[in-house]
Amino acid sequence: MEHRRKLFITLVLAITLLGSSCWDRRELDDLAIATAVGIDQAEDPNKLLMTVEIILPQNVSTPGGGGGQGPASLNIQSQGTTPFEAAKRLTFESDKRIYFAHNPVLIFSEEMAKKGILPAFDFFIRDPEPRRTAWMLVAEGKAQDLINVQTILDPITGLYIEQLIESTGAASQIATLMVQGFLERLMSPTTAPYCSIIRIKGKENNKSMELSGTAIFKKDKMVGKFDYKEGRGLLWVLGEVESGIITVPCEKEGNIGLEIIRADAKITPAIIDNTLKVIINITEEGNLGEQECPIDLTAPEAWQSLERKQAEAIRQEVLAAVKKAQELNADVFGFGEAFHRKYKALWKEQLKNNWDEFFPDLEVEVLVEAKLRRTGTTTKPAVPE
Amino acid sequence: MFNLKKLKFLQFLISQKPLKGQQSDKGQGDKRHGLTANLKRNITILKDNLGTSGDIVYHEFTMGTEGRPDASLIYVDGLVNKTVINEFIINPLMLESRSVSEKCGIFPNYNIDVIKNTLISVGGIEKVSTFEELTDSCLSGDTVLLINGLTEGLVISTRGWQTRGVTEPDTEAVVRGPREGFTETLRTNTALIRRRIKSTNLTIETFTIGQQTKTDVAVVYIKGIVNPGLVKEIKKRLKSINTDAILESGYIEQYIEDAPFSPFSTIGNSERPDSVAAKILEGRAAIIVDGTPMVLTVPLLFIESFQSAEDYYSRPYYVSIVRILRFVSFFISIFGPGVYVALVSFHQELIPTPLLITFAAARAGTPFPAVVEAIIMGIAFEILREAGIRLPRPVGTAISIVGALVIGEAVVSAGLISASMVIVVALTAIASFVVPPQADVGGIARVSMVFLGGTLGAFGLMIGFLGGLIHLCTLRSFGTPYMSPLAPLKPLDWKDVVIRFPLWTMITRPSSMGWNNPQRQEIAMMPAPPQDGEESGPAQK
Amino acid sequence: MELERGKINNLHLTFLIIGFTFGSSVIISPGKGAGQDTWLAILAGLAEGLIFAWIFFTLAVKFPGKNIIQINEVVFGVFTGKVISLLYLWYFFHLGSLVLRNFGDFFTSLIYFQTPLVVIIGLTAILAASAVRNGIEVIARCSLVLVPITIFAFIFDTVFLLPETEITRLLPILELPPKDFLKSSHSAATFPFGETVAFLMITSSLNKNSISSMKKFALGGIIIAAIFFIMAAIRNAAVLGGTAEISLYPSYVAIQLIEVAEILSRLEVAVSFPIFIMGFLKISVLYYSAVVGSAQILGLRSYLPLVLPIGTIMVVLSITQFATAVENIIWATDIYPFYSLPFQLIFPLLALIAAIFKQSKAGAKKAGEAQ
Repeated sequence: MEHRRKLFITLVLAITLLGSSCWDRRELDDLAIATAVGIDQAEDPNKLLMTVEIILPQNVSTPGGGGGQGPASLNIQSQGTTPFEAAKRLTFESDKRIYFAHNPVLIFSEEMAKKGILPAFDFFIRDPEPRRTAWMLVAEGKAQDLINVQTILDPITGLYIEQLIESTGAASQIATLMVQGFLERLMSPTTAPYCSIIRIKGKENNKSMELSGTAIFKKDKMVGKFDYKEGRGLLWVLGEVESGIITVPCEKEGNIGLEIIRADAKITPAIIDNTLKVIINITEEGNLGEQECPIDLTAPEAWQSLERKQAEAIRQEVLAAVKKAQELNADVFGFGEAFHRKYKALWKEQLKNNWDEFFPDLEVEVLVEAKLRRTGTTTKPAVPE
Repeated sequence: MFNLKKLKFLQFLISQKPLKGQQSDKGQGDKRHGLTANLKRNITILKDNLGTSGDIVYHEFTMGTEGRPDASLIYVDGLVNKTVINEFIINPLMLESRSVSEKCGIFPNYNIDVIKNTLISVGGIEKVSTFEELTDSCLSGDTVLLINGLTEGLVISTRGWQTRGVTEPDTEAVVRGPREGFTETLRTNTALIRRRIKSTNLTIETFTIGQQTKTDVAVVYIKGIVNPGLVKEIKKRLKSINTDAILESGYIEQYIEDAPFSPFSTIGNSERPDSVAAKILEGRAAIIVDGTPMVLTVPLLFIESFQSAEDYYSRPYYVSIVRILRFVSFFISIFGPGVYVALVSFHQELIPTPLLITFAAARAGTPFPAVVEAIIMGIAFEILREAGIRLPRPVGTAISIVGALVIGEAVVSAGLISASMVIVVALTAIASFVVPPQADVGGIARVSMVFLGGTLGAFGLMIGFLGGLIHLCTLRSFGTPYMSPLAPLKPLDWKDVVIRFPLWTMITRPSSMGWNNPQRQEIAMMPAPPQDGEESGPAQK
Repeated sequence: MELERGKINNLHLTFLIIGFTFGSSVIISPGKGAGQDTWLAILAGLAEGLIFAWIFFTLAVKFPGKNIIQINEVVFGVFTGKVISLLYLWYFFHLGSLVLRNFGDFFTSLIYFQTPLVVIIGLTAILAASAVRNGIEVIARCSLVLVPITIFAFIFDTVFLLPETEITRLLPILELPPKDFLKSSHSAATFPFGETVAFLMITSSLNKNSISSMKKFALGGIIIAAIFFIMAAIRNAAVLGGTAEISLYPSYVAIQLIEVAEILSRLEVAVSFPIFIMGFLKISVLYYSAVVGSAQILGLRSYLPLVLPIGTIMVVLSITQFATAVENIIWATDIYPFYSLPFQLIFPLLALIAAIFKQSKAGAKKAGEAQ
């Protein structure tokens, strides 16, 4: 009896499974893997234009030979009132289902960003397919033009952009943010989101692209832009500077390049005499990277003066960023959240809803403790005697 | 459990009466009778019983000089040692008896005890008085001596047939460890075990099973270590076997196993005397079947498949890594193709982007869905494997070359199967050989997993995994839960599961075996160099 | 008449309770609505849940070898006892169907968009049915293998999420008004800690040596599971910050963010299955309780004939009770904490008080007789 029942259950199972075989299965060859998504304003103001770069796997050169014939990726476009609608319409142009799960970059045109990206943003966090670890970007000009650039270093534009962003740490002058981080800042009542800006470089057949700064958002609208210096100022405060060069003038002619080894920051909010104040403590360690002037910097006084110069340079960068942010009235540094953490009641009663009135006049004090550790392989400069 | 009554109608097809009655085909009446005093009559009855097969020798002679009683030796040619018969039975009976017996006055007042005790110089003589015993021992290779005028005969142990020598087993090769393997002869096998366990408690109980084959089956265990309930249960199950033939230990296995419908075997087998001895020493019992070198051990635990005899001979560190590798291989061999299929046809987001592009490039242009590819390659592999095993070795090499070329190269370059699938199937195939005892199950489970992974993705795999686990947790082998010591948890037995602890830490025998006698060694056995001040060996001065 | 002959020991009980408490609660984080204080809400909920559990297991120790159905009859009398037992059966049964539905919704809204709900739920139920048929021993043994797998997976993804965590996201502590905090913590107490009331159907299968120390092992299991919940809540809050609140399944989203060496990314599918196996354990325990309880009330000699019918109704109920996944969420957050209160607190407490009362009366009687 029991075994007949077992057999019966097995049969039912087998039939159910066989019947189910076409529900959620998507063969790899039926998928078009998206590697870049660009969103532009369409000509119709109610619509947006979605540009998606998809991989042509057969053309991607593999170590075992094969491939390499023709371009490795293809760009397809469609219009829709929402990104999801546009995404579904992409299949008008592609014989395969567009697969967003591996998309590494999400690019909004500057026009879209200034108009507000929230309506277009929801799809990328609600749908389980797109990854929240994709990088947010704003394109100067149109996103579609950017995606259309044929990059040389990596045949797949999207992966190339991803590499560009992931290597920004070397200079630490551009702040980058993923979809998840962007969302978190977007949801905060005070903190402003930011993301990197990318633009086309060169003309005609010799086009490439470069990251040109950091876009600053107020809520979901782009309100301004940090240049490289301000970008690093932002990263100092966030404690995300990984590496980079600080250039300070030499006492004689020429400059000195100091390499950043590690840095950390601490934001301390304070209320002094009924005014809000933020104290930013930055600690930094660097190495003597290069020097143009023929001075022996390893002498104790020279060394100390160099450290002071370094600290001052950092301070100036931070202050520039703070100044710009206050002009834009966009709290990219998260000062508001710092007050939230420390002054719970005050924040809830006064600051939370009126932060825009407090932030521009916020007093910011920057304290930098910069150290120089090593001199590289030489001590004194190579000067012909 | 399975209702045997339903099979009863089948007995109409075979015979009207149940098997129990089918004792023998002919001479049933005489067989149970005792011997008569008339040798001629005895021989006639014997011939009637044994038949007139060419290999049965009836050697009639007179004991010594004329006038003395006639005698007859009956044996099966080929099963007996001729030298023993000639030199130690016929020679004393015919020649030496002439001089010796006169003085001692054996004749004419001869009786069977005198002959047994004074004349025949062979170890292992027994008196018998029924034809049944006579025929049975004769067919087992003993020699029967019948003497005119006596109602008892002698069964003289003269077994000696051509056997394969004790060679290194092919199935469980080791780098370090003994090279001996069991043979097809029961006695040799028991001797191989006895040589390793010279304990008075080592018990070997012999049964005869099989109406026609009359196969000797021995149950071997160590009294005081084995759980008495286990031995009782084995004997009960062995006694309930009523069939005509036992040709290999696999027959026994299938008649006494706990879960006949399970793909998992609940009875272990081994060809190595050292590993069988180790298992007996842990409290298991072995069942040796005459005619096969495969010795059964019960109870079997799931984790035994991952243990090898060599694990205990080598140092524990590398062994533990190898153990982990075996578990990993087992999982690869079952889940490998299933996971691959689930990944490429359901969960592409899990694959790292560069790898996904490679997969996609490999898959581009192949005509079949990944599931079908996996099934085709799975079947192709099984065919190749089967062909490789069955064919004579030189041809087997040819098969593997053809297989490697056709499957590995041509199929991919023709664009029929994606290269990544070939790699996955090949890896799985290799992994499945790492744990030989579970290789059969692996084959079945692999196909199911491909099917489940291809229809429901990871959810299907999970269903398969859980279903398998529930099944494994239900299994018992002679009362011991199959998944012990994992489930039920026996923390003390974990010393020999994933990590093989040093031997001196294995103080207790596995508790899963019933634990008649838990402690196997002293507690403080850790080797240590002599401390300062202690007497030491070759002291340096 | 013994419906379940299998015996389990204390350790099995602990593992079963860990698995059961993990259950569906790993996907639907308990104590939702408390923001970055979720972990505190769970901690407070644990305290409340431990009181509940202390009541159940005290009751179980007082009546060794008896399950809740038998206890009810002894304590409340045959008729009232049967009525309460019937309510309990409904509770186990309904809870089982809810958990089934949770997993169905989880899979169909995240991974299997087109697969019908009934396939996911049906297959899970068939699996649970085969476990239930084999008795509590087999379920307990499965838990011994499955719980470590889940714990390993949990630790694995928590370690890989460490780079994404920022401890400042947990600040400020205790921001919520006390009322909302209590709501969250009570919800955590009833789901999942108080649900261990189902173990009153299982403690009767404990072997004799385990009964006296049962309470320690059972509460230990709950605490171990709670430690992992608290870790998960801290992790989720530290990784997701404010975005945890808008996530339907915060752990799932958090795991999505793992990126290690460009190889391990988008692990959420892989990690959601160890979670699923815990749900399977929970469903099996509830299913088992419902089936064995029904057999007990009906006075059957074996519970096997009830396995398939009850399972089928459970599947049907779980599919039909909510039209949408949204209703399920509302039910879980707003109604369930109060719906489950009678079963998790009121009835066991009454039973315990009545039992103590009866015992002291019997004791007094005995003492009187002795004099």
